[in-house]
Amino acid sequence: MELFSNLALGFATAASPENLLFCLIGVLLGTLIGVLPGIGATATIAMLLPITFQLEPVSSLIMLAGIYYGAQYGGSTTAILINMPGESSSAVTAIDGYQMARKGRAGAALSIAALGSFFAGTVSTFLVALFAIPLTGIALKFGAAEYFSLMIVGLVSSVALAHGSVVKALAMVSLGLLLGLVGTDIYTGTPRFTLGIREYADGLNFVAVAVGVFGIAEILRNLEGEKTRSVLVQKVSGLWPTRDDFRRMAAPVLRGTAIGSALGILPGGGAILAAFASYTVEKRVSDKPEEFGHGAIAGVAGPESANNAGAQTSFIPLLTLGIPANPVMALMVGAMIIQGIVPGPNVASEQPALFWGIIASMWIGNLMLVVLNLPLIGLWVKLLTIPYYVLFPIIMAFCSIGVYSVNSNVYDLYAVAFFGLAGYLLVKLRCEPAPLLLGFVLGPLLEENLRRAMILSRGDPTTFITRPISATLLLIALAVLVIVFLPSVKAKREEVFQEED
Amino acid sequence: MRRLHLTRRRALAAGLSLAATLALGSPVLAEGFPDRQITMVVPFAAGGSTDVVARIVAQKMSDDLGQQVIVQNVAGAGGNLGADNVARAEPDGYTILMGTVATHALNPLILKSTPYDAEKDFAPISLLVVVPNVLIVNPELPVKTVAELVALLKAEPGKYSYASSGNGTPLHLSGELFKSMAGVEMEHIPYKGAGPALNDVIGNQVPIMFDNLPSSSGHIKTGTLRGLAVTTKERAPSFPEMPTVGESVPGYETYTWNALFAPAGTPPEVVARLNDAANKALADPAVAERMTEFSATIVGSTPEELAAHVKAEIAKWTPVVRDAKIQLD
Repeated sequence: MELFSNLALGFATAASPENLLFCLIGVLLGTLIGVLPGIGATATIAMLLPITFQLEPVSSLIMLAGIYYGAQYGGSTTAILINMPGESSSAVTAIDGYQMARKGRAGAALSIAALGSFFAGTVSTFLVALFAIPLTGIALKFGAAEYFSLMIVGLVSSVALAHGSVVKALAMVSLGLLLGLVGTDIYTGTPRFTLGIREYADGLNFVAVAVGVFGIAEILRNLEGEKTRSVLVQKVSGLWPTRDDFRRMAAPVLRGTAIGSALGILPGGGAILAAFASYTVEKRVSDKPEEFGHGAIAGVAGPESANNAGAQTSFIPLLTLGIPANPVMALMVGAMIIQGIVPGPNVASEQPALFWGIIASMWIGNLMLVVLNLPLIGLWVKLLTIPYYVLFPIIMAFCSIGVYSVNSNVYDLYAVAFFGLAGYLLVKLRCEPAPLLLGFVLGPLLEENLRRAMILSRGDPTTFITRPISATLLLIALAVLVIVFLPSVKAKREEVFQEED
Repeated sequence: MRRLHLTRRRALAAGLSLAATLALGSPVLAEGFPDRQITMVVPFAAGGSTDVVARIVAQKMSDDLGQQVIVQNVAGAGGNLGADNVARAEPDGYTILMGTVATHALNPLILKSTPYDAEKDFAPISLLVVVPNVLIVNPELPVKTVAELVALLKAEPGKYSYASSGNGTPLHLSGELFKSMAGVEMEHIPYKGAGPALNDVIGNQVPIMFDNLPSSSGHIKTGTLRGLAVTTKERAPSFPEMPTVGESVPGYETYTWNALFAPAGTPPEVVARLNDAANKALADPAVAERMTEFSATIVGSTPEELAAHVKAEIAKWTPVVRDAKIQLD
């Protein structure tokens, strides 16, 4: 079979001592930058690009890819330990992972995240190998109308993200949508809500907002009551998940992998959307939705699997079309061009060793990551015993360096400070930051695609229901809406709400 | 209208004058410059075509200058943020800009107010490369030539749309110039960058697009996209079979260029040293090979030639921007 000979070629390429070494360097670096809050894969890969000149094309791409998915692993570590998402896609993990850590289950949460990610990485790597080329065709069927309808599904489902009042959740989503409007309108070029500050012309930086509302707000909250925190740390128990934990993570990991693999193929924040979508689904199907937001295992296992699967499958458009799905992939395109490889549909046939070598290296890299990360968990958990007055200035410093390094833009730091205070205020008002972030991610995509679809249809709104994929998605959104307001579910929701209050 | 024609003969002449400079010994160069690393600001995101050109050139310039030339991406506001940063930097040659047709010709014309003056606030160093744009269509669109496309657009005015990398970008203006010179109607669909736009043209969500030749060359070669014509005055060496738009729409010419600029007030001997390093980098065979694969044409120039080039480009685009009525805040 051709697939096996291709995979054999891939593994032969990826398993050469030199490529194994670069894969290891990549995932190590990736884990490290993932752990440091704010410092993202984009900035790191940009800084490392010049070094890759000296390497073989396949080695350099294996290393850069390793940084990318290594960062997805590392990002969850800080999200769980200190409520500071190291990578944008681990923002969702922070919701329940941090609550698990507060209950002394940091070790279990980290293990679940690592194992879930490994499983998702393995499955999605084989998906990439098997279906990369046919899946590309599906992604290309998604036009503006389809994207708009997909975002509607996301927004409608997001009500489930909150575990308090529906009204507050809706308010947070709306606030997020409004914040997403900041920046230049791409159709008219008019700056909106930028306060005349040119640095905000391209909108607010997602990392800055996420670090602010999750991380800085949490630091402020912790500084409020030093005592409660030190008590929490002392009851760190059992680094490993129990048998019961394993039983409870199996289904969420499977679902997360499926969701992540599907959404990763679509350009534009696939991994982040996948994590949000998985969390929503898990909360919906769970028989104990009241656990969500208070350390639910499914709330860590699902999104972590989803974001890692999404990170792997987002290589599909890059490898098969040469079209980058996100900024990191754009850098990979740059790296390929610098190496003299013109990315496009012909890479798989003209450079089979490169194409299949990268795919094989993803699985090897995932294996390395799980082997690296499991022993480190004990060490990470010890971090929590560092006195907070030592820990928090270090976190603040790394956050600031990280956020600044993305665009060398000092206004991103002002945004961190502002959203840190705003996030603290929201905590005090018992409003959840997660729906706000979701609105912030979806808002610009929603608007861009709505208007593009309307321009393409010359103002005819039936375009959303006459296109089959779009119509199906809208029906799903409608179904979700009906389920949410169905009497039985509604009663359950209110029950949950009362328990929490 | 004075214009710098970028023909192969001209590139050859530049190469010869460069060789002569090298043979006769360099002009007076700055003593002790550089004694620390130089920052080359790229006003666009990493991974794009300007970034790739910058990284290839910076690498070679580092070898010659004996100090690292670090590429720093300061993306935002269509290149204005990075350009403005350099305009306001210390004029000592340690901060230089990878300028483009956008930062030094189009933005100042399109925006109601630009934070910098493209001519007065910069000390030109050297023109580097010229990158052709290309008119591409989805293969399902029943046209094989520019003339057939024009006929189709005239037969069904207002039916078709074209994609671009964003409002006011060089690719958008290539489309607007085409519309006015060929007398056709197409709806403009802007995207956030060329990547997503290309994606929708391949998926036939939008049938027509103007793109940089490097980013779509792979697709043209494999047939996922049909290249109708390049936008330069002469055919592109990497696609000798493909006609130019000008062969069907006489006088049509657009292209993207990259050039190095220092802040105004940089000492002439420092500029000369940087110019020397840039042109040596362009003369390197490995660089030439990369640029050719990338469909970029190496040009090179003196600082004076670049100053004249900027003036000519502004003069060329002024009527286009006025006629297309593109004004952004």
